Amino acid sequence: MPLAKSRSSAADVALNVAAQDMTSLLADLAATESGVRRNAVRALGLHPGSAAALCDRLQVETSPSVRAVLFTTLIRLQSPAVAVRLAKLLRSDDAPLRNAAIEALQEMPDAVAPHLQTLLADEDSDVRIFTVNILAALRHRQAPEWLAVVVRGDPHVNVCAAAVDGLAEIGGPETVQDLRDLRGRFAGNAYMEFAIDTAIRRIGAE
Amino acid sequence: MSEVQSIPRGPSDARKRVLVVDDGITMRLYYRSVLEAAGFVVEEAANGVEGYEKVLAHPFDLMIVDINMPKMDGYSMLRLIRGDAAVQAIPAVTISTEAGDRDVAKAFEAGANFYLVKPVAPEELTEVARLIAGVTKL
Amino acid sequence: MTASFSTRSNGNGVTITDEEYAKFCEFFYRKTGIQYQDNKKYYVDRRIVERISKTNSESFRDYFTMVRFQVSGEELQLLVNSMTVNETYFFREDYQFDALVTGILPAVVQGKRRGDPIRIWSVPCSSGEEPYSIAINILERWEQADHWDIEIHASDIDTKILAAARAGCFSERSVGRVPPQLLSKYFKSKTAGEYQICDALRDSIDFSLVNVVEPAQTKMFRNIDIIFCRNLLIYFDDVGRREAVEMFYDCLAPGGYICLGHSESMSRMSSIFQPRKFKDTIVYQKPVSEE
Repeated sequence: MPLAKSRSSAADVALNVAAQDMTSLLADLAATESGVRRNAVRALGLHPGSAAALCDRLQVETSPSVRAVLFTTLIRLQSPAVAVRLAKLLRSDDAPLRNAAIEALQEMPDAVAPHLQTLLADEDSDVRIFTVNILAALRHRQAPEWLAVVVRGDPHVNVCAAAVDGLAEIGGPETVQDLRDLRGRFAGNAYMEFAIDTAIRRIGAE
Repeated sequence: MSEVQSIPRGPSDARKRVLVVDDGITMRLYYRSVLEAAGFVVEEAANGVEGYEKVLAHPFDLMIVDINMPKMDGYSMLRLIRGDAAVQAIPAVTISTEAGDRDVAKAFEAGANFYLVKPVAPEELTEVARLIAGVTKL
Repeated sequence: MTASFSTRSNGNGVTITDEEYAKFCEFFYRKTGIQYQDNKKYYVDRRIVERISKTNSESFRDYFTMVRFQVSGEELQLLVNSMTVNETYFFREDYQFDALVTGILPAVVQGKRRGDPIRIWSVPCSSGEEPYSIAINILERWEQADHWDIEIHASDIDTKILAAARAGCFSERSVGRVPPQLLSKYFKSKTAGEYQICDALRDSIDFSLVNVVEPAQTKMFRNIDIIFCRNLLIYFDDVGRREAVEMFYDCLAPGGYICLGHSESMSRMSSIFQPRKFKDTIVYQKPVSEE
């Protein structure tokens, strides 16, 4: 029988449960081994005061697995201050980083809500698109309303298109008129017409 | 889209298979309607991980790939596919809202064969898809 | 809830349109990784209508809005529970055991020297059908089995079910897919309709009580080569799911694999693993070189 019980019953891994102090944990954020960094991030997650340091690390960390743990931990530690730091990443050139920031912000409705107006007014249309993407998946009662505001006023076709896509999922009958009005603003744009028709059909208020 | 070319169909089903990878449901539905009207068989994925899974599971003649997606972006997905001998040859068109030179360069570096900027008109999508999938020749 | 409000044949008059069904499926997939095709509409509708009624919602829209925006995620969880049937039996989803013996194990040993153990972890192991199925498949179908020390660890959060797994007694129904020659080889018939796994197999599996959300409890699992975690993560919320797969990442050896249930996909949870195809199934691999 080749099946064997683990001789050491996996106890060869020392259980390092002793509470590590903040200073050494913060130092471990820059350790060479990614496993040490991941453990440091998780341990720091128990100290709300470490959120800023974790945000700092996010800006230089390149390992996908450590980044993932950083984002997950920051979701747990969420606060308006964390949301502001993550929102800055929407401008990053690093596609995985900015997309992970979008996902993390979607998980912190109350923390991100106070910043949404500013982000929706950003001069960079890509930042506005990402904000609309956040809104469309945000567990927040006002999300459909904010998307409707975008549809009514944003000058950029792709920002409006993203908002229409969001409304197709979370919009109610009250947004249908805004969608109809939008058609006039981008007349002749085949995608926009398709998106508006789809949204109105999905909202179910033809 | 009235002048859909006759593309071989039937028992030997030679219709080209295209994978549409975009996190927006409306965008996927749009690509589907345009590409099906042009004779393609369309499958969908909502992010790069799912796109790569679909590519591993089924053969495709073309990928239409968005850049900004949750879990895995379009660049990362293309790099993964270009590095996987079993599937690396599938041609890809990236479609993004980002139209800067650097974005285009990044897409080609990651392995795109063509770059389009959103929103894409149906005729443009059809023409590029046929060209890149090898339905029409230059 | 009064009887007059029962869900008998959509008794409260709520119906779900095709568009609503499509919207729901998209949302449910994004949240849980579980995908329903159009042919499941009847099944899905019945369960949604039941929840609409139980929550006193006015309409599908009303209910869906609540599910979507509820910060606690409680109703989504109740819906998941009602949608999923937690059934376990020997050789369940056996295409994955095919992949194990024909592809995954051969790939795992490529990076090993003779004498290195192969570690497999079944979590949650429930009443034991999965770890025993893994053991039988390896012994019967992997020609290299005799050349390696193979450890099978099996964990569950539930002490009662773990005791049952250790005892290894199973009903006729549970062993229904086990071929007769394997049934007589690895089981002893106790009473009519009850089978017990042979002692050698029972003794070879390392059962343990583990709550996967407790870091102190999962810390003991390191350098695992293959994790079977089927139909567990669907019960977690988004953040819990992230934490769980990130924990598994640290449990795995470099290049180790994780196998999920057939309706689950890592693509809705995390991108730190790389999808790999073995036979007809996709499993997820931790990168070989630690970044």
